[in-house]
Amino acid sequence: MKHYSQLSPEQRRAKLYSIFSCVVICLIAFTFLFPLYWIITGSFKTKTEILSSTPVWVPSEWVMTNYENLMSKRTAPLFDFSLFGYTITGPTIPGAIRWLLNTVVMSVSSMLLTCLTAAMAGYALAKKRFYGRTILFSLIVCAMALPKQVILIPLVREMSALNLYDTIWSVIIPIVGWPFGVFLLKQFAEGIPTEMVEACRIDGASEWRTFTDVMFPMIKPGVGACAIFTFINSWNDYFMQLIMLMSTKELTISVGIATMQGENSTDFGILMAGSALASIPIIIVFLIFQKYFTKGITMGAVKG
Amino acid sequence: MVKTPVQYNKKQRRLVMQENVAAYAFLLPFLIFFVGFVLYPMFMCVYTSFFDATMGREDIFVGLKNYQDLFQDEVFWIALRNTLVIVVVSVPITCIFSLWVASAISKMPVAATSAFRCIFYLPVVTGSVAVTMVWKWMFNNYYGIFNYLGKDVLGILDKNINWLGDEKYALWCIILILLTTSVGQPIVLYVSALDNVDKSLVEAAEVDGATPKQAFWKIKWPQMMPTTLYILVITTINSFQCFALIQLLTSGGPKNSTMTIMYYIYYSAFKLYKYGYGNAMGVILAIIIAILSAIQFKAGQEK
Amino acid sequence: MKKIVALLLALVMVLSLGACSVEKAAETKAPETQPAAAEGTQAAAPEAAGDPVEISLWTYPIGKWTDEATVSALLADFNAAYPNITVKVEYLDYTNGDDKVNTAIEGGQAPDIVMEGPERLIANWGAKGLMVDLKDIVPAGTYDSVLSSCTSADGAVYEMPVCMIAHCMAINRDVFEAADALQYLNEETHTWNSVEDFFKAVQAVYDAGNEYVGTIYCGGQGGDQGTRALITNLSGGTYANAEHTEYTYASQENAEALAKLYAQEGITFDTAIQAADEIQAFVNGTFQMAFCWNIGQEVTNADALSFDVLPMAFPSDTTPSLQGGIWGFGVFNNGDEAKIEAAKTFIKFMTEDDAQYIKAVEATTYAPVRDVEGVYATDELFPEYNLLSPMMGDYYQVTKGWTQARTEWWNMLQRVSATDGSVEAILAEMETAQTAANTAAAAEG
Repeated sequence: MKHYSQLSPEQRRAKLYSIFSCVVICLIAFTFLFPLYWIITGSFKTKTEILSSTPVWVPSEWVMTNYENLMSKRTAPLFDFSLFGYTITGPTIPGAIRWLLNTVVMSVSSMLLTCLTAAMAGYALAKKRFYGRTILFSLIVCAMALPKQVILIPLVREMSALNLYDTIWSVIIPIVGWPFGVFLLKQFAEGIPTEMVEACRIDGASEWRTFTDVMFPMIKPGVGACAIFTFINSWNDYFMQLIMLMSTKELTISVGIATMQGENSTDFGILMAGSALASIPIIIVFLIFQKYFTKGITMGAVKG
Repeated sequence: MVKTPVQYNKKQRRLVMQENVAAYAFLLPFLIFFVGFVLYPMFMCVYTSFFDATMGREDIFVGLKNYQDLFQDEVFWIALRNTLVIVVVSVPITCIFSLWVASAISKMPVAATSAFRCIFYLPVVTGSVAVTMVWKWMFNNYYGIFNYLGKDVLGILDKNINWLGDEKYALWCIILILLTTSVGQPIVLYVSALDNVDKSLVEAAEVDGATPKQAFWKIKWPQMMPTTLYILVITTINSFQCFALIQLLTSGGPKNSTMTIMYYIYYSAFKLYKYGYGNAMGVILAIIIAILSAIQFKAGQEK
Repeated sequence: MKKIVALLLALVMVLSLGACSVEKAAETKAPETQPAAAEGTQAAAPEAAGDPVEISLWTYPIGKWTDEATVSALLADFNAAYPNITVKVEYLDYTNGDDKVNTAIEGGQAPDIVMEGPERLIANWGAKGLMVDLKDIVPAGTYDSVLSSCTSADGAVYEMPVCMIAHCMAINRDVFEAADALQYLNEETHTWNSVEDFFKAVQAVYDAGNEYVGTIYCGGQGGDQGTRALITNLSGGTYANAEHTEYTYASQENAEALAKLYAQEGITFDTAIQAADEIQAFVNGTFQMAFCWNIGQEVTNADALSFDVLPMAFPSDTTPSLQGGIWGFGVFNNGDEAKIEAAKTFIKFMTEDDAQYIKAVEATTYAPVRDVEGVYATDELFPEYNLLSPMMGDYYQVTKGWTQARTEWWNMLQRVSATDGSVEAILAEMETAQTAANTAAAAEG
């Protein structure tokens, strides 16, 4: 490391700039952290401190009341399904736990389904020449542009005709159909040199083998990104969950917490406890999938 | 693109056929979901926009009346203007800010990069309802943190500002919150894109005497174009569809200063049961977004 | 690590399998349970076990009807008498409840029973022909005081009333006492001496060093009954006509009352907050009075209140006319006679017998709608708040075009806050809003 005075003016400026940007980013990062900090500490505050008119930075007394309320106010079976006319019901557990499980199952299912269908479709859109390609791609862009609110009513009718209303499938299916993943992975797949795919075909590999052995490994980072975005999007797809899910045992955590609110009074304690609890799994997922981001995202950029 | 298949001979035609079959086989799983649960409702939406549709009675065909009404509706124009302000302000800021953050944190040690990436993603992760509640409290007129800091701690403000209740500030507060919830994904993508820029090219340029600035704009930036394109399109769509914040914070007020098209659609369709009217607005919004996206694609591809 | 996880998983599996219960779908709830086993249900003569029926009951958060333990106890009583009817309860909230119910209706998934008030049951879903007329199960004479509010224009009863409440305002008694402002009101009757004294009291509290005394919240429609009642009581004016066909609030006296509020020190217009925020700011001591209050608020906020709350009628020179809420059951017509019958059976069970009715009413925390002995026998708050019940005024929330009228109201208040506060300017804004609301009312026919 050279001493500061030994640097050329340009290097000095660069150094100063990087220190400056580091400080600014730390400050901004602080404001990004703050809501989560406030939610987590808030979930341990008493009602008086939550409503306090002067900011209570750290709870003066850490209480579990909010978590107790969250856990005790609603109950649901751990699982339940029907088999040959028999209904099998699991033990009764706090509703919030079931909601968390539902949310995880919903997000993971939509993530897996989206990644699979989107990787295949993205590959086809990027590397295959077929009739209707332009039309399909335009439709995909139009569909992304369409506000979800206006398709809700036809969607509810469809789901109830298919007997899927009030099941987590009614939330999963529209997410899988939503073409963000396809768009993302098409961008990725376009970055893979076409020669590689062709070489593989000439070697006599089947279409499917070409996809699984050549294409998929190369777009893996893209699939990782698609996985995490889908996971988080479906986790946060509040409005769809709100409309499609009704039974206490089918709810997701955010919608479930909403049903605990009274008239003209928001129970911030429960809200914060639930949100704190719900953010833990999602942060874990983010950290797991992080490693896919660090190497090899070459979205659409043709190398060399 | 297959333009004039007639020119092909038999063998070529078979190959084209094969390619088509293979392509559709790969598309099939997605198409089932897409056609069934996105395109069909989308078609129904366009269809309903020509009807006077409401709850509890048969729909009445009215042709283009919903669209005509729309263009005479004062609130629609206010909503359109506000929405455009949000898009015009937040899209460039999101892109530039996330590029800047990404380029700064990607030079840091791996652990720091991961930590910052995670932090900037947190507002998305924590769930919109709770995060919005915290922001609402921060903007509170009587005991919010901004007034507390501004008046009692720093002394910049003479008196409390009702941030969300003041026409001058409300939309900007919404944009600020929107920014914090929308930069996470672009930062993640830009960090990886920067990581994957062909290092040898950058080094070669530096040997040739290019400044870091030149190396960035001449070498790295073009390579990140597809990422930028994706981010632009996604951010544009998200900004156009800004809804939850409005619903949770201002209901479109004060004096319609935060009314967005998405909120107005929701209000018309879900509160007033004017389904046809809401859908017509949805169609208009989709057309605007689609045109903008097309322009972005064209511009991105030319570069 | 992996082993531990696997072990835990296995443990959870075993435990949950051990605790699971298997039921034949066709015979939910053992039919051998003797009817009328529960105490206090003798009056509801059970028709023994008929064919099994499953009905759904969706409730808005009406007191403890949002509390699972309370509702389950009520259902247990019901199932003891009618083991063949399974009631699936789901809970709604006011923020999202309407969106849920409306999309469910559009998707053909409407609930069988819904618990709410006339603004939705009669003016909305009833008017759209989605509800079942409950006239045949309403006993003659019992509900006369509220029945007209539960009856549609064409005479159908779409709501079986259960409870009611008069929405009031509240003051921070401690602060008022310190400011010597209690002289302007009557603590016994919970009324203000006069409109003039109300303003004097606000001034006194303001002069005692309280920057914020009260606020005209208008950030949305939440709790707008408070601002409506405040203005019409101050002026003695009306909000809608007696026939509930059009809005009449754009009057000289209402505009004058609003202008007076506008000019009053300590009263602000807040365009960023709704009633829920106002209540929160009242509870933490920011405001010294809340315009959206009722017994439910005092119960919910009990552990956060550090001062003495005094519920008050709205200030008026005549008899105060409070905005009320009448909650009860409505039945959706889903085209299945068996379910409609089961729903009616449920409603009859909850309301017919005195002992059961008391349980149902006490679960709401609000006042009963018919004469019944021994309700809230042990409750301390109830008698105080019940003094306000007789002041309940016209139930104009069933006026046509109500949804749009609500939006027009808070938007009008937002615009008023930006005027110079003159009566003319305020009246002009009121007229704009009223015209829009009346157009919507006319469009509904």
